[in-house]
Amino acid sequence: MIELKEISKFYGKGGSRFQVLKNLNLKIEDGDFVVILGASGSGKSTLLNVMSGLERPENGQVIYDGADITELSDDKLTAFRKHNIGFIFQQYYLLPNMNVIKNVRMGADLAENKEFEAVIEAVGLKDKRKKYPSELSGGEQQRVSVARALAKKPNVLFLDEPTGALDEETGRQVLDYVCKLQKQYGFTIVMVTHNLNIAEMARTVIKMNSGKISEIYTNETQKTAYGIGW
Amino acid sequence: MRRRKLLMGLDGEYMVIGIKDLAKLFAITIVSCCAVFVCSLFLNYNIDVADIKNAITTEQGLVMYDALVASGKVTAGVSGGCLVITTIIMLIFYIKNYIDSHGKELGILKALGWSRLNIAKHFWIFGMSVFAGTLLGYIGAMAYMPIFYEMQNAEELFPQLSPQLHFGLAILLILLPTLFFMLLSVAYAYLKMKNPVLHLLKEVQRVKVKSSKCENEDLPFLADLRKSTVRSRKIVVFFVSFSAFCFSAMTQMSMSMKDLASESFAWMIISIGLILAFMTLLMSLTSVIKANTKTIAMMKVFGYSQKECSHSILNGYRPISYIGFAVGTIYQYVLLRIMVDIVFANLSDMPEYNFDYKALIVSLVAFVLSYELILYCYSKKIGRQSVKSIMLE
Repeated sequence: MIELKEISKFYGKGGSRFQVLKNLNLKIEDGDFVVILGASGSGKSTLLNVMSGLERPENGQVIYDGADITELSDDKLTAFRKHNIGFIFQQYYLLPNMNVIKNVRMGADLAENKEFEAVIEAVGLKDKRKKYPSELSGGEQQRVSVARALAKKPNVLFLDEPTGALDEETGRQVLDYVCKLQKQYGFTIVMVTHNLNIAEMARTVIKMNSGKISEIYTNETQKTAYGIGW
Repeated sequence: MRRRKLLMGLDGEYMVIGIKDLAKLFAITIVSCCAVFVCSLFLNYNIDVADIKNAITTEQGLVMYDALVASGKVTAGVSGGCLVITTIIMLIFYIKNYIDSHGKELGILKALGWSRLNIAKHFWIFGMSVFAGTLLGYIGAMAYMPIFYEMQNAEELFPQLSPQLHFGLAILLILLPTLFFMLLSVAYAYLKMKNPVLHLLKEVQRVKVKSSKCENEDLPFLADLRKSTVRSRKIVVFFVSFSAFCFSAMTQMSMSMKDLASESFAWMIISIGLILAFMTLLMSLTSVIKANTKTIAMMKVFGYSQKECSHSILNGYRPISYIGFAVGTIYQYVLLRIMVDIVFANLSDMPEYNFDYKALIVSLVAFVLSYELILYCYSKKIGRQSVKSIMLE
């Protein structure tokens, strides 16, 4: 379980210092599918970064199964991410000099996962495993980044606007792969998006506004990527 | 008029290329300074000494004269030529890096309707780094010349000379290289600017897709990254090996030269060698880290340790630098052998020259220590790099 206690985060210095996250408290159950919704500047990406250990909050605790990761040194925090966390960003950030297999191995080698070919197959890129990022479409590149993140067998998968750079069809396809793989591997999903429709796929929806959680609700039924509007 | 203001306002108060960017060209200034310093000394001496050829009466004096003129030509040609090639490669390297990292600004200018030539012509300013270097080198050579002239005629085999100023040489060594490098900057920028506007705006960098036949799929990610980092920037391979080459050749040559020439000459050689070696190495490693910012950030995000990041990015260059060191050792031995056995062969009191193992050991130990220290510092720099560098886009 992930637990956030009294999380505060500030940006800037002196007179331009402003609070991005305002004393947030939150609990996320293992295996949950959480969507964080909010307008631009609401603090949702910062929350994701703090929750995943990419940024440190000024105040508060981020607790994973009883252990506070804000207390960890940089090296231990890196090791924590290595063993627990997967990331998918809007801008895929694939390594341009490496083909699909090598990009996926970036995640797989961390978990000593020899079955990474199965993950490539699961995201439908078996035939393109030797292609380079420049030879792939945007959707295919995002699927490589999905495979790369999942090949390291994370307990929690963080997604920051994963469909932001994709068209509707490709976006649905990528989300569908993520959902199917979650059912297969059982990891927790925390996804940031500004797309209200995507929230219908989640079990838990967290709405953010001006650095605060304005609403949390649970969907009784979760829609599929092809069942939501766009 | 309005478009001109936009162009000027983007990256500095009155130009596309800002002062910070020009400061990065310091390495070019140093290399061109060294090139002109060496060439000015030897060519100026050769011009001046030609005037007194008829005044040399002894046979030993004539032998010495021929040897000095020949060695001056060789030294100016080899070192000047090598350094000019290095400057060309460095300049192209800098312009490429500039265009790659300022793609958005340049893309906006192109999108607004500025022609390639209109943008490229602003790159003449890159040539000014050569002007600064050549001017400094020439002034330095002029200041050092009286001592150099005395060294050349230490045995007083012919009449003493006082250095003369040759404007033709100044034009040849200062103005012509400056003009050449200004034109080269504009021409190269013009060629590089042919990328489509969208590529520039998105800072898309061309990646050569290599044949899958030569790939080893069983290679672990970190080993593969190490290889691909080296393979993807061949120009850095050249600079790293050149840096080790300079260090090895110049330090060993200067130590061996204490017996063959004056101590002052040896100090000049070692100073030029060390400046070139360190400038080139620092420039290369900085550019490697800059080019791999996103890769390093993603590796950290995924949980790779600082050690794993720095090893995979920097360690691939270690064998290359040691190869450069070995080539430098062979080069300095062959060059001194030629000098002793051919150029100065007829001089009666020429000391015997053998391979200097002591110089090799001293040079190698100094190289290993300084190289490893620099790698350690850059490894720490990688450690300090924030993962936010990719999130801020």
